[in-house]
Amino acid sequence: MTTDARNQYEGLPGDFAIWIFILAEMLAFGVLFVAYAFARAHDVALFNASQETLNRTFGAINTMVLITSSYFVVRAVNAIKCDLSRDCAWWLGMAWLLGAVFISIKCVEFYDKFSAGITLSTNSFYMFYLALTFFHFMHVLMGMIILAVVIVKARRGGYSSRDHTGVETAASFWHMVDLLWIILFPLIYVIR
Amino acid sequence: MTRNRFFTFIWIVLVALTLVTYAMGEAGIIGSGAMLTVLLIALVKGQMVANYFMGLWHVAPGWRLLILGYFLIVGGLIALAYGLN
Amino acid sequence: MQYKSQAVAKPYFIAAIGLFVGQILFGLIMGLQYVMGDFLFPAIPFNIARMVHTNLLIVWLLFGFMGAAYYLIPEETENELYSPKLAIITFWIFLIAGALTIVGYLLVPYARLAEFTGNNILATMGREFLEQPLVTKIGIVIVALSFLFNICMTLLKGRKTSISLVLVLGLLGLAVFFLFSFYNPSNLVLDKYYWWWVVHLWVEGVWELILGAILAFVLIKVTGVDREVIEKWLYVIVTMTLITGIIGTGHHYYWIGTPEYWQWWGSVFSALEPIPFFMMTIFAFNMVNRRRREHPNKAAVLWALGTGVLAFLGAGVWGFLHTLAPVNYYTHGTQMTASHGHLAFYGAYVCVVITMISYAMPILRGRAANSNTAQVVEMWSFWLMSVSIVFITLFLTAAGIVQVWLQRYSDTPMAFMAVQDKAAIFYWMREGAGVIFLIGLVTYIASFFIKGETKAAA
Repeated sequence: MTTDARNQYEGLPGDFAIWIFILAEMLAFGVLFVAYAFARAHDVALFNASQETLNRTFGAINTMVLITSSYFVVRAVNAIKCDLSRDCAWWLGMAWLLGAVFISIKCVEFYDKFSAGITLSTNSFYMFYLALTFFHFMHVLMGMIILAVVIVKARRGGYSSRDHTGVETAASFWHMVDLLWIILFPLIYVIR
Repeated sequence: MTRNRFFTFIWIVLVALTLVTYAMGEAGIIGSGAMLTVLLIALVKGQMVANYFMGLWHVAPGWRLLILGYFLIVGGLIALAYGLN
Repeated sequence: MQYKSQAVAKPYFIAAIGLFVGQILFGLIMGLQYVMGDFLFPAIPFNIARMVHTNLLIVWLLFGFMGAAYYLIPEETENELYSPKLAIITFWIFLIAGALTIVGYLLVPYARLAEFTGNNILATMGREFLEQPLVTKIGIVIVALSFLFNICMTLLKGRKTSISLVLVLGLLGLAVFFLFSFYNPSNLVLDKYYWWWVVHLWVEGVWELILGAILAFVLIKVTGVDREVIEKWLYVIVTMTLITGIIGTGHHYYWIGTPEYWQWWGSVFSALEPIPFFMMTIFAFNMVNRRRREHPNKAAVLWALGTGVLAFLGAGVWGFLHTLAPVNYYTHGTQMTASHGHLAFYGAYVCVVITMISYAMPILRGRAANSNTAQVVEMWSFWLMSVSIVFITLFLTAAGIVQVWLQRYSDTPMAFMAVQDKAAIFYWMREGAGVIFLIGLVTYIASFFIKGETKAAA
């Protein structure tokens, strides 16, 4: 069989297709990050003033939430490598819960902005802020769906130390969501 | 397990670096030095997540370089755009 | 042919090629009208020729997609079509309705046609590509529904593969987005906004799923590469297509009264639209290089590779050329758009339909592949058509650059018609390339009638 992705593609964790997907997603976000930076250069004062209205504490908490949930996912992968299905499902479940925390905090932020009458058309800063964080938000949701599927299978003992590509695929996607936020947070909330 | 202890260590470093970035924002430290520092912190964090959490450390070096290159290019262009004003 | 009911694909393919000929003839007529404005006037005015040219393109591609689906679905689901009879009835309804519509365009003034066909009940006519009278539009919906019913029933009782699921998803999307052609708000901005939901989300969204599925099917058949490998690629391509294509709709929303953020979203996401096309090219070549069998139908392999390359060039590169908002500020609605349209439609959709026809038709006629001579002629037709469409694209690009330069970018802009005169040389050369294209098409049709030693059907 030539379908064993691991042997074929330099031992990348998880399914090879997810890596193509990750690279494509990172490219899309990368272009948006750079576009934000150059759009800001056109109107620094406006961007700085608008940035002041963001809640940096929420942003920092969310960074830590994602980093921690990424760490939990690492623990889950390590657990399944030792054939500990229950531990694996537990760690993934904790990671999923942190994803839910992220989503909740983000919703509070969105609610704040929308109730202040801010929309995509308010100004360039808010357009980028809302668009970038919303796209990222959708990725967190998608990651949670993927995690949920893997959790269900892991609980049924569907993975083992020999066959856990599914866990690694979900893990890789989840880490990407983290990776993107690691750039997004300083860019949108901190640097001025 | 030593492996888990290593990842816990990485996690603590990531949290610490996040706090540094946050503190710089709260303290209102601005200027190109601060901007570059924050971008550099993001680069280091990105490398830690990619190499250790994602496990690219065990993969052909091309993949690690790809992620490193991504952070350098994206971060570099951001720095360039911020340097424009 | 593995399943008897696959035979219903044959009339669809024949009709597709017949309408293709009509499309090219009208293309040549209007190509000439670019430089000889009163050619065939008043019998066939330019706007009518253009309408027939574009409508025939869409209709014959739809025939091709339906034929491809009727051929592909039984083989993928491993059972007979739910109702071959319904497929044939649908075929005749669609063909007759299509023919009547074209005859209506040609014989009755458009305004009168609108009056006859109930445009006063629900005004949907008069918009580019969606010019069809209300009755035809309703007919298209009925045909699409019966077609989808037939396909879905077949799928439900059989094996469900990724290829057939992606194909059906694409076809469902095709039907759903066509419904927006009935929505015609009087606000011109809203009208255009939703008009693109049909036009853009077809060709840069759901049609790409159909394209991917057909290409994947043919590649499995002619290369013998594992289904798992091909399906994995298909999923990645489909996902990328949807990520970039849906928000990429924004590249039509520059300066037409829509919010400003579309300039950013349209630019960023549509700039990424070449990626799935690039992956498709890599995919096609990669699979052919890793082939595990030498399929006797070399012509089909050539068309499949051609799809990859020309779709990337036409849809990817030529689309990217003028997709960024600052560039589009100058190129909007110039011949640049026409050049992109020609190569993109040919490379992506004409090529993939012919790939399928090229693969399936010999089998439908009882042999694994056509004779060597017939295949050589067919390959000649590939090169004639492909090279001439590339030249059409290059000449139109040149005309577009002239137009941008003299009419838009210049400090002392010239009037539209004055600029058209300046570009006349390129229009003449385009017409010449068009004639070669027609020769290529005739060669293609001739290849069906060339006999010779053939292998029995697999």
